[in-house]
Amino acid sequence: MTDDIVDEQRLQELLALTKQLPRSIDPPSGAWGQIRSALEAEPSSSGPRTTGPFSNAVIGRADAVRSTRFWQRPVFLAAAALLLVAGSSAITAVAVRRGDSSRTGSQQAGVQPTAPRQTEAQIAAAPTTSPATLAEFTAVEKDYIVTAQRLAELLAVQEDKLAPETVATLRESLRIIDNAILEARRALATDPANAALVEMLSGSYQKKLDLLRRTAEMARS
Amino acid sequence: MAFTYFRLGLVSVALGLSLEAQTKVERGIALNPDGAIRIYALVGSVRITGWNRDSVSIRGTIGKGNTFHVGGAKAGMKMFVESMDQRSSTASHLEISVPVKAKIWVKTATADIDVSGVTGSLDLYVVGGTITVNGNPSDVNAEAIDGDIRINGSPGWARAKSASGLVSLKGNSGDVTLSTVSGGIEFEGRTERGKFETVTGNIRYAGTFLPRGAINFDSHSGSIDVTLPEFIGADFDIVSIAGSITNKLNSTKPIKGRYGRGSELSMSNANGGTRVAIRSFKGPVSLMRGKQAQ
Repeated sequence: MTDDIVDEQRLQELLALTKQLPRSIDPPSGAWGQIRSALEAEPSSSGPRTTGPFSNAVIGRADAVRSTRFWQRPVFLAAAALLLVAGSSAITAVAVRRGDSSRTGSQQAGVQPTAPRQTEAQIAAAPTTSPATLAEFTAVEKDYIVTAQRLAELLAVQEDKLAPETVATLRESLRIIDNAILEARRALATDPANAALVEMLSGSYQKKLDLLRRTAEMARS
Repeated sequence: MAFTYFRLGLVSVALGLSLEAQTKVERGIALNPDGAIRIYALVGSVRITGWNRDSVSIRGTIGKGNTFHVGGAKAGMKMFVESMDQRSSTASHLEISVPVKAKIWVKTATADIDVSGVTGSLDLYVVGGTITVNGNPSDVNAEAIDGDIRINGSPGWARAKSASGLVSLKGNSGDVTLSTVSGGIEFEGRTERGKFETVTGNIRYAGTFLPRGAINFDSHSGSIDVTLPEFIGADFDIVSIAGSITNKLNSTKPIKGRYGRGSELSMSNANGGTRVAIRSFKGPVSLMRGKQAQ
């Protein structure tokens, strides 16, 4: 809208009319009663309340509704946790195999490995804090795996700068850490709620990243 | 950048030596008492000793085919052994006297690093050699891949990491982190904040804690042996997922793990104090009674 199409007289009339409007209006009669009924019929999502506006009868109805939700049953939750663990294990296995096969492939073909695409900033973006729960761990595990993969690629390019015995030590150390990760994972599948296991598993991943990072740094210089 | 002047110094002072055969080297350069020194070498040894002079003395032998470069100014200097063939470099041995308060940075491939009598900060990196520190530096950061790291003294804080090598600290330090993958970890002394972690190596702690500290032990399958004075004030939180816990510090018995296996032990000794957390997946954990702290 531009100034030349504004009807100033019409605008003044509109402003005068809006000034006559009330500051507030009441809801239609009976509206509050309908809202209250709807709220009372809605089950509580945060567990039963012992105080507050809801009567015991309402709490009972909410519990009854909640108990019928199959996805909140302990058996289903445990199965979901197992599925998460199994899924992320599969991702680890695929990522590790892919790394090994890609390096072996280039070596077999006699092709010099190309410089890694990842920057140090990207590699440094790995999780630095330990997750406290399985859910938190599962959320950051992909970052651990991706970062480890990037560091392994970076190291593969620089591997010829290291003595063969150092490379052998490094591989053995990585194998030890991977075994520890695998063992902790299996235990976590049995005890998904075990916070100490989550802590250990996360610690093992961080040790792996730290070792890869330190070795890559040393090989580079 | 703090070391920019090193590069300028290298250009302007230009003390480079090109050596065709194994050759002796002997140099003396002025350096401030708290000056910084960077040393880079590949194979052989680097021995650094603190002395009460404001200068640096370099003596040693440079391996055949290697070139030795040194330069810098009073605030900082840099030296390095350059090899024509890094894959089969010959050994060079350097003995360097530095001001006691100097800040030292050393990186080698397989050359052993030995530092003694320096009270400044130490940054030491070796791929496949041994790092030994004797004395009381303000701080130590030492890293190896498959070499041992031995610290004998009382650094203000210490960080030492190796993959397969032994990492040990004998002395007192306010803040200690010792870490390995398969190498052992040994600590004898006193600390306030400590972190001792390995995957399959064994951890042995013998000493005491300062009050209100926090100490963490973490192992996957290695043993964790902690020997403490009988009346040490500490709150213990010990979890072994599938391993055993033995408590000979006091009469509290470990209980079966809350998930049906392994062991757990939560207790306070002598009214508590330092928080001690021990986590093991399947390695045995032992708390033992040792000598009373001095």
